[in-house]
Amino acid sequence: MKLTLVTASLLLGLASTSSVNAASIYAGQAKAAAVCSQCHGIKNPSAEAPFPPLAGRDADYLKTALKQYRDKTRQSDIMNAIAGSLSDDDISNVATYYARLKP
Amino acid sequence: MNILKTPLRKSILTALAALVLPFGVQAAADNAKDMHQLFEDNCASCHGSDHGGFLAPALNSETLKGRSPTALRSLIMTGSFDTLMPPFYGRLTDDQIRGLVSHLQTTPKLANPSWTIDDIKKSIKVYVSDESTLPDKPTYAIDSMDDVIGVAARGKYGRGSGSKAVFINSTTHKQIGEIPTGTAAHIIDYNPANPRWAYIKTDTAEIFKVDLYSMQAVRSVKTGYNGPGLGVSRDGKYIMAGSFVPHNAVILDADTLEPLKTFELEGIDPDGKMVSSDSGMVIGTPFDDIFAIALENAGQVWVVDLKEGFPVTKITDVGRHLHDAFLSHGGRKLMIASYDDSIVAAIDLKERKIIKKLEAGCVPHVGGGSAVEVDGRTLGFGTNFGDCDKTVVSVWDLDKMEVVKQIPVAGGTESPAAHANAPYVAVDIISKDRRARTVQLIDKKSLEVVKTLDVGGHAYFPEYSADGKFLYVSAGYSGDEVVVYDSTSLQKVASVSMESPAGIFSHGRVRYMTRGLSPDEATAPANAPRLRPVGEMKGAK
Ligand code: HEC
Ligand code: HEC
Repeated sequence: MKLTLVTASLLLGLASTSSVNAASIYAGQAKAAAVCSQCHGIKNPSAEAPFPPLAGRDADYLKTALKQYRDKTRQSDIMNAIAGSLSDDDISNVATYYARLKP
Repeated sequence: MNILKTPLRKSILTALAALVLPFGVQAAADNAKDMHQLFEDNCASCHGSDHGGFLAPALNSETLKGRSPTALRSLIMTGSFDTLMPPFYGRLTDDQIRGLVSHLQTTPKLANPSWTIDDIKKSIKVYVSDESTLPDKPTYAIDSMDDVIGVAARGKYGRGSGSKAVFINSTTHKQIGEIPTGTAAHIIDYNPANPRWAYIKTDTAEIFKVDLYSMQAVRSVKTGYNGPGLGVSRDGKYIMAGSFVPHNAVILDADTLEPLKTFELEGIDPDGKMVSSDSGMVIGTPFDDIFAIALENAGQVWVVDLKEGFPVTKITDVGRHLHDAFLSHGGRKLMIASYDDSIVAAIDLKERKIIKKLEAGCVPHVGGGSAVEVDGRTLGFGTNFGDCDKTVVSVWDLDKMEVVKQIPVAGGTESPAAHANAPYVAVDIISKDRRARTVQLIDKKSLEVVKTLDVGGHAYFPEYSADGKFLYVSAGYSGDEVVVYDSTSLQKVASVSMESPAGIFSHGRVRYMTRGLSPDEATAPANAPRLRPVGEMKGAK
């Protein structure tokens, strides 16, 4: 994992120049580590598994995909169930976190 | 900081449990044989071929009695968050998962399946038949073979293309080779007499003999169904392997991997009952031409002499549920952990008797153990799962065999790393929450925790490079990288990607015997001829 507590101060520095802040990245990281990485991995999903990679993908793409899963305009039994319990903030945090990772 | 996790996880699990309901109504009519094969091919490497548990819980009619099939199906589909249990969504169909659940809930723990000396013999595979064709020095740049570090990469599913042993040059932190192992690599051990040979043991009890110079497997053998026990004799001529399933051990020729003798593991436990037993640690020692093997359930340590007939001396009543161990004093003293008595027993391998039983926190798991010399004393460090209020790392004076201190740490621990040239003893915190991301560092002199590193993933199995300059840690589970720190500044200096890394094994161990001792410890033991030593059991759970 690239973003650790140790680098929180660095992230706070970044916050002034971009719209995200350390807290939301941290929240995104926590969610990703706790839930999404189970299938998508942090940097890469398992080579043996049918899950698409998320690290380094476009943040807006990820957000849109998650919202579509949430309102079921994009169908996937599993992602519909998972996205169903995500708030707008969750989606934005986790998308930003994954988008910033190098795969 | 872990506030987010629990509620979200709960709501997601509830959502997923609802999800499995609408699927096909007819239960799969697959017969038990197919289901057993499905279990063998996907689950047994972690859960045990006899359904009796291995590094994951036992799955049988007894342990799963009364559990909701729907909840079990959803767990198998998504995996169990923050553990090694992977998601089988997309790998198995809903019908297969359904069939597995009903199979598991109706199958009792199986009788100890047999795997005989003939099965072992027949399982030998030869990948390089003429070893004289191998290069006579490493085919990559490296100053000393001591600098090789091996990492057991499990692969997310405990099998497949992510399962391999990865070898790294610990001065440059660059990968120098990898050996695919089919199922999760668990233990890596090195030949004390010839630096070119390494041995890798997998969760499914295969052993690969590896040529480190050309970075390829030359032979393999299957010694059982499950079990990590592996040791190499000080002369490099023999390997001993011990299994959980079935309950046996075998001595192999280290060169050809031909089995020479098998041992049925059974004996009278400390409560006076005759039991059949899992194998715990297997260890060779620079002290003598012997192997020591722990019989977990029988609470015995057997010392096997490497001579005609391989005679056994049995040391009984060592402790309840023995597991792993480490050596001290030129390899004459063996410190072995007993989970259920929460002690570490010190055994004199010369007299072949127990010296003393020392307090060791609760549910001690010493991993590879560590020993360091501080102000003229040899101090041993012992980790423990700490499944109670007391989460401490035990420090013992290994000369006097007494407890020096129980150092409070943040949670349960599983493996300590030390090095003669590094200021800190590193321990991995394994408690099931955010703490699992961390490693704590204990100052060798003050015996206090002085720093906590947030490594990521499930951080475990710290290991120093042979020169002591770098600390390697696996960010396991979904962390998928090995992180390297400068041992003194504790700054992160490198990262090596791989799927679900676990145990880390420095080739330097061959010279210092137990991590933390002087690099020449194993070459000049007090009353033994000059020679080099051996490996240990690490990473078993
Ligand atoms: C149990 C496994 C599982 C978990 C946990 C999971 N996903 Fe997924 N995810 C999938 C699968 C399967 C797909 C492919 C679905 C499809 O076919 O559209 C997917 C697809 C996606 C996609 C679309 C990617 C693309 O290329 O279009 C995004 C974005 C995504 N997941 C985000 C997440 C986030 C964020 C989390 C954590 C909150 C998460 N997933 C947790 C299994 C999972
Ligand atoms: C890579 C190792 C691994 C593999 C492979 C694996 N499991 Fe697991 N499994 C685990 C671990 C570790 C746990 C404990 C999880 C926890 O503590 O929450 C577990 C837990 C479970 C549980 C819950 C047990 C309980 O008592 O709550 C079930 C059921 C299960 N696994 C079924 C399966 C099945 C079926 C397969 C094969 C299709 C399988 N597992 C493959 C590691 C594995």
